[in-house]
Amino acid sequence: MLTFLNIAIAGLLLGGLYALIAMGLSLQYGVARVLNISHGEFIMLGALTTYTLYSVAGINPLLSLAIAGPAAFALGYIIHRTLFKRIAASSESPAIFESNSMLAAFGLLFIIQNLALIVWGPETRGYSYLAFPVNVGGALFGANRLVTLGFSVLIGLAFYLFLARTRMGKAIRAAAQDPETAGLMGVNINWVLALCFGFGAAMAAMAGALISMCYPVHGVMGIEYAVIAIIVVVLGGLGSIPGSFIGGFVLGLVGSIVAYFEPGLTLAAYYGIFILLLLAKPTGLMGK
Amino acid sequence: MDTKDLSRREFLRGAAVAGAGLAAAACGPTPAPTAAPTEAPAAAPTETAVVTPVKDKIVVGMSRPLSGWNATIGDAAFRPIYETWVPMVNAEGGIYVEEYGKKLPIELIIYDDKSDVGTMTRLTEKLILEDKVDFLWPASGTAFIFAQAPIATKYGYVLITAEGGATQIKDMLPSLPGVFVTLSFSDWYQLPVLAEILAAKGAKTAYVSYIADLHGIEYSGVAGIEFPKQGIDVVGLKSLPPDIKDLSPVIKDADASGADIFCCFAYPDQNMPACGTSMELGYNPKAWVGGPGVNFGFYHAAFGPAVEGLMGFTAFARGSSPALDQLADTLYEGKPEEINDWWGHPYYWAGLDVWKAAIEKAGTLDQEKIRDVIASASPENPLETVLGPTWFDNGLLAKETHPGEIGQWINGVFEVVGPTDKATAELVYPKPPWPTG
Repeated sequence: MLTFLNIAIAGLLLGGLYALIAMGLSLQYGVARVLNISHGEFIMLGALTTYTLYSVAGINPLLSLAIAGPAAFALGYIIHRTLFKRIAASSESPAIFESNSMLAAFGLLFIIQNLALIVWGPETRGYSYLAFPVNVGGALFGANRLVTLGFSVLIGLAFYLFLARTRMGKAIRAAAQDPETAGLMGVNINWVLALCFGFGAAMAAMAGALISMCYPVHGVMGIEYAVIAIIVVVLGGLGSIPGSFIGGFVLGLVGSIVAYFEPGLTLAAYYGIFILLLLAKPTGLMGK
Repeated sequence: MDTKDLSRREFLRGAAVAGAGLAAAACGPTPAPTAAPTEAPAAAPTETAVVTPVKDKIVVGMSRPLSGWNATIGDAAFRPIYETWVPMVNAEGGIYVEEYGKKLPIELIIYDDKSDVGTMTRLTEKLILEDKVDFLWPASGTAFIFAQAPIATKYGYVLITAEGGATQIKDMLPSLPGVFVTLSFSDWYQLPVLAEILAAKGAKTAYVSYIADLHGIEYSGVAGIEFPKQGIDVVGLKSLPPDIKDLSPVIKDADASGADIFCCFAYPDQNMPACGTSMELGYNPKAWVGGPGVNFGFYHAAFGPAVEGLMGFTAFARGSSPALDQLADTLYEGKPEEINDWWGHPYYWAGLDVWKAAIEKAGTLDQEKIRDVIASASPENPLETVLGPTWFDNGLLAKETHPGEIGQWINGVFEVVGPTDKATAELVYPKPPWPTG
């Protein structure tokens, strides 16, 4: 029973972060149709900003969520309005836009990563925050990790409610289903897509802030999280925000179960699930 | 529109022709490389040429990871060394080469291999064949050395390595006569010392976790040989994938094993969370060993007082020798603690010192002669470096020249604790508890 609890909670802890990262990419890829390879770089920016604010100014990492999130939103919004909108205008079809925007995102990855290396240097960094054990029904977990789970779920749910209950959320869902028709119905499509890109960047940065509380951070940490995000987005179903949220937890649990037996096989298990799902249900868990 | 378009095209064509003409004119007076397409050396003896050959600089080429995953390692390890060492040598006019009767400054050509081994091999060949560099300095990392060393050997270049080293390279070195490995590694001579000093303190059991790559497999393998030699049983063995995020199953497993020693032979991406998780779960073995990573200043910066008692691999500490104290001042004084690397930096620096000393001794830039000078250095006939008298032992930096092997954080300083005759402080065993709060 204790083993079960250990595995389950460890899976949820990891899954929470994956879910948050994947929701961000889901908005960018599923709605704005930008396969944002540089998604991980926004995670890195959030993590290093939080680290800097904590170690230099002593600002609580949880407070940094409220700083890194909006800042990344603004950055993402501007990038979409300037870069991706231009690419969309000059691309003949959605397919061409997807490939062109992915190439631009690759460029963005290198630009952001190298700027970060110039600003923060190459060293690995980290800090201790809430590093004490908490007893959950006999299973021990670090307090910082439980806090990350709590905030991941909170941010995820808040965003889900925003999508499901608000007018702006409805516009985003409409754009996800059919951007052209949504545009004909009076949705300002460029604005909505830029919003989605901005929200995606904000979620990445907030995930980065949470990651920095538990894991070492450095300038080239982004890409591995971006890869996980891509797996989760496809797993959950392209364009389905709840799908990404659930997919993140599924992947976290699978990873945790496999890691209990052999940590070396977790990544293999991720890809195993990925392949099985593509064979059995190519549209993903919640895809239509 | 048509006429405007045409005139622009004509203008461009005219400009191109003019530009080409200018370029051709500019190239004219310089010695055209096509003039001597044979294999003959540049200073082929003609009837009048009994003068000293002309050369005004030593060109050194490097393929380095300036971007990509390996950049964090390359930028923190060898880069600060050559960026400090070269200006220091050039400030004195360069390296005296008898053949030319004067000091020659060093000029670096550095290409970005984007952390890709394939790109690195192409750039290495480009440096040799197109740029015709006088010397090759090393790429970053063990896997890169494995790929670069045969290329250097093929073209007869001396290669003194920086980051990287492995037991397997020992077997390759006899076929790579121009390759010299500076960094210490598992059985050269870290883990035998680790086992010895811990056994002397009464450690009986060890739990070994290791990253599932060349580095981790090697270290866990050598630990499996060296620990039992000293009467320490390996009671647990767990491999970690490079992308592992949650280390709590491993730490809980280690805790359950009750081992005296916990080892995490992995990189900072794994051993920093391993340290954090140990702290969070209150897992406090008698010895906590991790690396590479624990040896860097950033470990202290990240964990603060919690680093007390953590052990790792090292080379020196302040107090090892006056020359090394001087090196620490040069490299670290007035800079953030994050950049400190107590393991690699002195070896990389010594590698450059060896190179300079060998050129001066050989009095020429001839690779073959310089190789012979380095290879023939011995305890009786050493090369002087920051480590003191230095020589190589079958292509590996002799273990007698290592200022230390095992380090431990004691009162905020990464002290040398092994081997005992080179220690700057005594090993603290068992390690103190994690700080509370």
